[in-house]
Amino acid sequence: MRLVLTKLPTLVLTLLVVSFLTFMLTSLLPGDPEVQILGPDNATPEARAQVREDLRLDDPIPTRYGAWLADASTGDLGRSYRSGQEVSEAIKERLPVTLEIGLLAIGIALAIAIPLGTWSAYKAGTTTDRAITGATFGLLAVPNFMMAILLILVFAEGFGWLPATGWTRLTEDPLDNLRTALLPALSLAIGELAVFTRLLRSDMIATLQQDSITMARAKGISPARILFRHALRPSSFSLMTVVGLQVGAIISGSVIVETLFAVPGVGRLLVDSILQRDLQVVQGIALVIAASFVIINGVVDLLYSLLDPRIRHGRLAAA
Amino acid sequence: MLVAASLAAAATACSGSDDEKTKGNGGDGGEVTGAIRDVSDQGKPVKGGSITVGLEAESNGFLPGKSNIANAGTSVAYAIYDPLMKINSEGELKPYLAESIEPNDDFTRWTLKLRSRIEFHDGTPLNADALKAVFDDYLIAPGSNLLGGLAGVTMEKVDDLTVAYVLEQPNSGFPYNLVLAAGWPFSPTAAKAAGEDAPAKPVGTGPFVFKSWERDSRLVVTRNEDYWQKDLPYLDEIVFRPIPDEDTRISSLKTGDVDVVQSLRQGTVAKLRDIDGVDNYEFLGNNTGISVFNTAKPPVDDVRVRRGLAQATDQTQLIDVLGGSGMVPVATQLFSPDDAYYSEAAAKKWYKYDPKAAAKDLESYVNDPERSDGKAPGSPITLRYDCPPDPSLNELTQLIQALWNAVGVEVELRQVEQATHISEALSGDFQVKCFRAGQEGDPGVTLYPIFTEGSPLNVARFSDPGIDEALAKIRATDDITERKAEVEKIVEIANENIPAIYAGQTLSVVAVRDEVKNVDGWTYPDGSKGGTSPNGTNVWANVWTTG
Repeated sequence: MRLVLTKLPTLVLTLLVVSFLTFMLTSLLPGDPEVQILGPDNATPEARAQVREDLRLDDPIPTRYGAWLADASTGDLGRSYRSGQEVSEAIKERLPVTLEIGLLAIGIALAIAIPLGTWSAYKAGTTTDRAITGATFGLLAVPNFMMAILLILVFAEGFGWLPATGWTRLTEDPLDNLRTALLPALSLAIGELAVFTRLLRSDMIATLQQDSITMARAKGISPARILFRHALRPSSFSLMTVVGLQVGAIISGSVIVETLFAVPGVGRLLVDSILQRDLQVVQGIALVIAASFVIINGVVDLLYSLLDPRIRHGRLAAA
Repeated sequence: MLVAASLAAAATACSGSDDEKTKGNGGDGGEVTGAIRDVSDQGKPVKGGSITVGLEAESNGFLPGKSNIANAGTSVAYAIYDPLMKINSEGELKPYLAESIEPNDDFTRWTLKLRSRIEFHDGTPLNADALKAVFDDYLIAPGSNLLGGLAGVTMEKVDDLTVAYVLEQPNSGFPYNLVLAAGWPFSPTAAKAAGEDAPAKPVGTGPFVFKSWERDSRLVVTRNEDYWQKDLPYLDEIVFRPIPDEDTRISSLKTGDVDVVQSLRQGTVAKLRDIDGVDNYEFLGNNTGISVFNTAKPPVDDVRVRRGLAQATDQTQLIDVLGGSGMVPVATQLFSPDDAYYSEAAAKKWYKYDPKAAAKDLESYVNDPERSDGKAPGSPITLRYDCPPDPSLNELTQLIQALWNAVGVEVELRQVEQATHISEALSGDFQVKCFRAGQEGDPGVTLYPIFTEGSPLNVARFSDPGIDEALAKIRATDDITERKAEVEKIVEIANENIPAIYAGQTLSVVAVRDEVKNVDGWTYPDGSKGGTSPNGTNVWANVWTTG
């Protein structure tokens, strides 16, 4: 509760700053939104004037921002001028898709990276460690769009196990949903798991050199127990920070993969809206991204204290 | 060679196949295949079944006047709406949903009669009142995106099933406007009831009824049980899925995730030709990539510079970079060799790749003390070439830069995002830009905005009294011989003055898994044969599947 109360002002302030900056930036974009909306074939002076009036494009930026803010504070993010769809509805439709793929990717990456990074640290300096290090550097070097194409070639075109493109909602058919989510999630996960493995390996090597671990070894505790029971938690700080950042960056990181796999996510909506100058939608999504970063950072702070009670105690003592 | 080999293989694989090749004008590019129709045995119609169509893009809605309905959207629209008019395989315009359309003597009034007893999917009758409500409340409403083509047009109700389009200026090609969005009647009752959601809830008279739409994922239409054309459609359901990436769209066709794909990319057309078990319905359109000159800006305001650059441009290399090598002919005008208005004479006169002749023209400008850019005689010509960032366009512009550098012209390439690109084109803030030009339809309709002074689409800022006169004549007559002669005059004047340099004509394709049949077999209500699918768009009423 305390944490929520301390984070709330930060959240509100961040949202205000981000929304104003987004407003400024989208207003400064070159190219006339009304021409993009009408299409060059139909951009007659009358039609252009009408669209500019509808969008209040000739009003000063502070006036427009004020009007938008007043609506947004009541939960009304406006309507997309291009599609007529309510911005909040568009985000509500697409956010679960992006989140599912992003979280699944992080889940897959962690499920592989934790044992791999731990093992690599345990075997530090050996051939196994060098092989894992080499493989993770290799994976880091493969951009996710290339990985996506490779995965489609192997699992969709080659084995025919998974669909190449498309999306089935979780509520429609959970099994089919997993089939459509797997390839996009995998193509994101592979890059992430390389980063996670590298981070965990280096932190774990440092932890394994601490006295407490030597003591545990001397007591004859099994290596697996030492690694996963005693060493993993204190080695997870960097990993946790990066995972937190990664969760916050799910939307912006999903754009290419969503386009390649033809998945109806919020990243694709954001890029299309920027290119088509659908400013209301850009504004709404920027707000969601900013909020998710602030909230995830708060959650990560909370997790730190769960991982290491000293942080919690330290705070209490300071208070 | 590869294309020829794969075609031979396809022909052998499909017994009784209906294999045709139409050859385009090779021009400088030598032998090219042009559009091919490479399809399996069609068999007898089958009722029922569902197909999934992979589209190149998502649309922002399907309400004429409000939504931007490009090629992908038009494919969806032809399932839900019926066009009032449609073009047949000979390029002739015939009524489809309309029963007839007749002009007055000077082509300023077009009287359109509707077929009787047709209803929209919501039960609203299709009559003059409905047509007029749609026209007045949506198509010519302030902010409508159809005001360009419908400028100065009003509608009058004549009787219950008849309306008249009243034009300020004569236009013998006016009914061509009714092939696309301005000619897709939708239920005014349903649109009014849906209010701002109308673009997402299309209600037409077409063979399929809109069922659901999840944006960027799928749009589902189901069989219209009360369709006015007896025994149609054959299919029970069509699912449209936007798959913007060309490669994954092809993968989806291969794996059977989709049964049909559309594409306007030459590289994709070539790849689709090589896939077994896929039928290809190609179309060589009038659309061509161009480098458009701002004829109001030095140094490209001088025709010597434009002519020099035209002769310094090797179109076959441009086509190669765009992936159309061996398939598409070099473009010499705004009409493809498959179009009725194509001019052989103009094609012969179009500039061949000749760097020496180019250098001569350019030198004449460079050494001219009165040169329009105000630079000292002898100093090199400098140009800025703008183009949006896209991998194939990057290669294209770099090639153009190299070709023009080779004749002493310094070219600065500038990547500019699409929205800015268009705004600058409209405002005239450029010297040379990559662009696209040429479209299907009546030349009186398609050429008018490009060559009329002050029109937003006259990007080159080029007009000529000879062209104005020819356009006025084209719009005032329906005599095809006379019209062709006038179009030829326009093409020749344009080619002499070179407001733009062409690349190659564009091949588009509708490619289907071979269980999907009769893709180009649509007919008019009187049973006469329809035309090919231009630009990857398709009419779905007559398609069936054996899968």
